[in-house]
Amino acid sequence: MAITSKKVFIVDDDESVCRALKTLLMTFNFEVITFNSAKSFFDAVSIDEPGSLVLDIHMPGLDGWQMQKQILESGSRRPIIFISAEKSDNAADRALKVGAVGFLQKPFDGQSLVDLINSTTEKITVEI
Amino acid sequence: MVSHSLILLIAQQKKLQLKFNSQVAMKKIKRTIPKSKKTLQALKKRPVASSVVKTNTLKDPLLDKIPHSTLEEIVRQQTDELKVRKGQLRQGADREKLGADREKIAEEQLYIRTKAMESTFDGIFIIDAKKPDFRIIYANLAFYELTGYSKSEVIGKNYFLLYEASENLFFIDEIKHSLLQGNPFQGEMIHHKKNGEKFWSLLRITLIRDKNGNITHYVGNKTDTTLMKQRELEIVQQREELLHVTRVGMLAEFVSSLAHEISQPLTAILSYAQAAARMFSGKEPQLQEILQYIINDDQRASEVIRRLRLLLKKSTPTLEPLNINVLIKDTITLIMTHITVKNKVLKYELDNNLPLIQGDRIQLQQVVLNLISNSLEAMDSIDSRDLLIRSSLKDASTILIEVKDSGSGISPENMGHLFTHFFTSKPNGLGMGLPISRSIIEAHGGHLDAKNNSDCGATFYFTLPLCLKEHHEQ
Repeated sequence: MAITSKKVFIVDDDESVCRALKTLLMTFNFEVITFNSAKSFFDAVSIDEPGSLVLDIHMPGLDGWQMQKQILESGSRRPIIFISAEKSDNAADRALKVGAVGFLQKPFDGQSLVDLINSTTEKITVEI
Repeated sequence: MVSHSLILLIAQQKKLQLKFNSQVAMKKIKRTIPKSKKTLQALKKRPVASSVVKTNTLKDPLLDKIPHSTLEEIVRQQTDELKVRKGQLRQGADREKLGADREKIAEEQLYIRTKAMESTFDGIFIIDAKKPDFRIIYANLAFYELTGYSKSEVIGKNYFLLYEASENLFFIDEIKHSLLQGNPFQGEMIHHKKNGEKFWSLLRITLIRDKNGNITHYVGNKTDTTLMKQRELEIVQQREELLHVTRVGMLAEFVSSLAHEISQPLTAILSYAQAAARMFSGKEPQLQEILQYIINDDQRASEVIRRLRLLLKKSTPTLEPLNINVLIKDTITLIMTHITVKNKVLKYELDNNLPLIQGDRIQLQQVVLNLISNSLEAMDSIDSRDLLIRSSLKDASTILIEVKDSGSGISPENMGHLFTHFFTSKPNGLGMGLPISRSIIEAHGGHLDAKNNSDCGATFYFTLPLCLKEHHEQ
């Protein structure tokens, strides 16, 4: 249970951000898989495959909000953490409102991301 | 008897000819003509034989020598001549009548012209140019009202003394110089009334010359252009305000875009450094120190961006009820001179029954101005002139604004990048106008897009909801 719940998916159109976050999260013993678009994620990951999602908001094609909505509509309860380089005053509120775990403004401290991910895995572990 | 009367008639006619120019003569001739006609008719009726007999009874020896046919001919000629003279006389009388009519018309025209001069809003004055002291010999009512001076303070006085209170000494020299050179003058200046009140005055002075070409009078026309100036000034201020807002908007958009682009690598650098610090945790103290410096400087750069973002925070729309047609017309006023200079023709098709919308006036004006400016630039290198602005109800809850040009249209490769930051097809463009416009329209809950027209040119259009729903900033 603990192993599967430590899986993290990252969806960000910026290749460099994906690679850096993967490197960082791997030092926290997460299993990390990255995608550069919503489509490539949906093509590769099934609804019931466990794992948290670190999701960039501004992306070509489906953006983060639309992707999260689609995941929610598919019946999945995958924990989602929004990240964005765009300055937005109400993104954090909106993220919580739509049922996400949280929002981080880029650039963020790695520990804050890990804490958010861990809060979700703990939550899931408790629920299970 | 008949022949005798003929002779008398001839003599009378000759006598009459001497008095021809008088009306009295005319009346006499008028009386005589019917008589001579009767005589002629009598002569025609009488048989030739009896005429010979009767002729013999006449005592005048002169008449005996003149054949009757000749006499008859003479009378006919004289009568014809008289008729011609009568005609001429009538013409003369007509001419006199015409002269009188003309005089009447001239009087009327003079009256109308005087009245016109007196009733116009322009101050008109006439200066005697034959004397050196620019003496005013006439001024209309408006001149007194405009300057605040009374008739006694104006008539017979030097025109330029009315300028005493003003500071336009430079203008006075210029006007005098121009007039003395024999040139008309035209200029706009701030003028002072007698009470010191300032007004903008458009002054035009023309010259009147006599037959020999000598200047006899100067005619001045003074128009109060204060209201026009104020309006011009207002338009300039509004345009400046809009340009300022646009510039600030562009800078904000630029900073926002720059911040976004820099934040991505900063995120990566921070994550890499933190990952490395964790990897070498407890080992390599020098490396740890370096990694910490990287992390610190990354965070410092992030802080700079955060402050910049705060400084140039995009202004939130100030919503008020707006009539979009009024807003369009107001915006066009600001750019009308530009349109005219570019020799383009602007047409409206505005639906007058549109409901009010909720919006930020300045921001929406910014969008309309941006779309019109783009359209004008699209038609720059092309002969086409037509620019159309249309407002309509798209559906029950949305209004549609279209700006249609007849330029070169948008190429397929450019179509996809129109709203991308820093994308521009113009040599001096920043690539900020359309992305800003789109973000403004989206903040209003609408949508901005472009399409090529079926014939020529392109149409940029945007929608605005009639009731602004809560819009989530993304």
